[in-house]
Amino acid sequence: MPYLRHAMDALTSRGRTVRVAVTALGLAVLLTGTIWGADDHFPFGPFRMYSTSDPADADAPDTRVEGVDLSGNLVDLGEAATGIRRAEIEGQQSRYVDDPSRLREVAEAYGRRHPDAPELAEVRIVIRWHDITDRRPTGRWVDETVVSWQVTR
Amino acid sequence: MSRWLTEAVPRGRVAAFRTLVYLFVAADLVVFTPWVRDRVDVPGNLYQPLFIGRVLPLPTPTATLVSVIFWALLVLALLAATGRAPRLLGWTVFALYLEWMIIAMSYGKVDHDRFALLVALAVLPTAGRARHGDLTRTEAGGWALRVTQISVICTYFLAAWAKFRFGGLDWATGSVLAKAIIRRGTDLADLIAQVPHLLLVAQFGILAFELLSPLVFVLPERWRLAMVGFFYSFHLVTISTITISFAPHLVAMTSFLPLEKVRPVIALRRLLARRSTIDKRRLNPDPLPADTPPVPDPAAP
Repeated sequence: MPYLRHAMDALTSRGRTVRVAVTALGLAVLLTGTIWGADDHFPFGPFRMYSTSDPADADAPDTRVEGVDLSGNLVDLGEAATGIRRAEIEGQQSRYVDDPSRLREVAEAYGRRHPDAPELAEVRIVIRWHDITDRRPTGRWVDETVVSWQVTR
Repeated sequence: MSRWLTEAVPRGRVAAFRTLVYLFVAADLVVFTPWVRDRVDVPGNLYQPLFIGRVLPLPTPTATLVSVIFWALLVLALLAATGRAPRLLGWTVFALYLEWMIIAMSYGKVDHDRFALLVALAVLPTAGRARHGDLTRTEAGGWALRVTQISVICTYFLAAWAKFRFGGLDWATGSVLAKAIIRRGTDLADLIAQVPHLLLVAQFGILAFELLSPLVFVLPERWRLAMVGFFYSFHLVTISTITISFAPHLVAMTSFLPLEKVRPVIALRRLLARRSTIDKRRLNPDPLPADTPPVPDPAAP
């Protein structure tokens, strides 16, 4: 490597010791987070993207939020409509199921972004279960409404 | 070990990496994660602060707070990309970006693609001043790049660990890729999903590559670059099939590359200089006298 011929800024021995210590500490915290931690410990939580195991024939959920407005039209309440990401809905799904009136938050977020749209009468979280057989999608699906809330004013 | 951890690199490499990382921070705000600004439309009680947000006295984000962080971060990141005041600007950008990420990840979904970028932002201020093209070697800069590289590889290796922890040994024979394709697959992915056993082979392949990724540190230079090239190609496939970009991780991974050799500004200047010489010749078709000095080379020191 030609740059090896050039002059060098060396670290002081203190600078080196501090850096080695910081590296060791950082690795220790990250390892602890991976072994015992959870997403809550961001940025040192486990790198658990796509880490769950699903049996070869387990159906795959595709979650969506939708609503019905006062004129009876189906309204897509996805990220583009409300600013709430799908993964955020899924992450807090149990809280919505325990207390369906929390779906008011979704209706309000939609209302703020679409002040002129007809008001919503119902908000619901629907999971489309896609059939998977032998690790491959078959194209069949069923819809399951996990929670729904009639808008109260 | 401590020699390896602080192996000197040219200052020019640190300068190029610094510019790239801070430009990415600015781009991330407007291109990759503009949804963070939408958090303002999400009611405050959906805000479930992370552990770090509960330990530090961070306020619940409001429209004003998010706007202030957005604009401050955008301006300061662009300033930091020039390489000026590397410590002051570097630490400020790190603090603001960390807060930006804490806000982003506090609504029920945590992303796992930015650990190495956060590490790069945390260590770049310690690398000191570095001018583009400077071949003087620096150990402080070498450490900054080395720990970023380690974070990149940790993201892979510990992801395999997490698969064993959360998915168990069955992960490789499960249907995780089929599920990913259903949820966010492209047409290409739908096509791939129809090939028998391909997803199963891919799952074993992913585990193997994640577990073997630390080998990048013991390979000779040429093979090391080839392996990093393979990492990039893996992400090209995940983008084109399940639209997972991992952009911050890809930027941090440039810490493996001899970035000092890429000089876009000089290449542009040379191109312009060549153009103007050709134009001059066209205007003045007389052959140049032999003693005319050549066009100055802007790359010359």
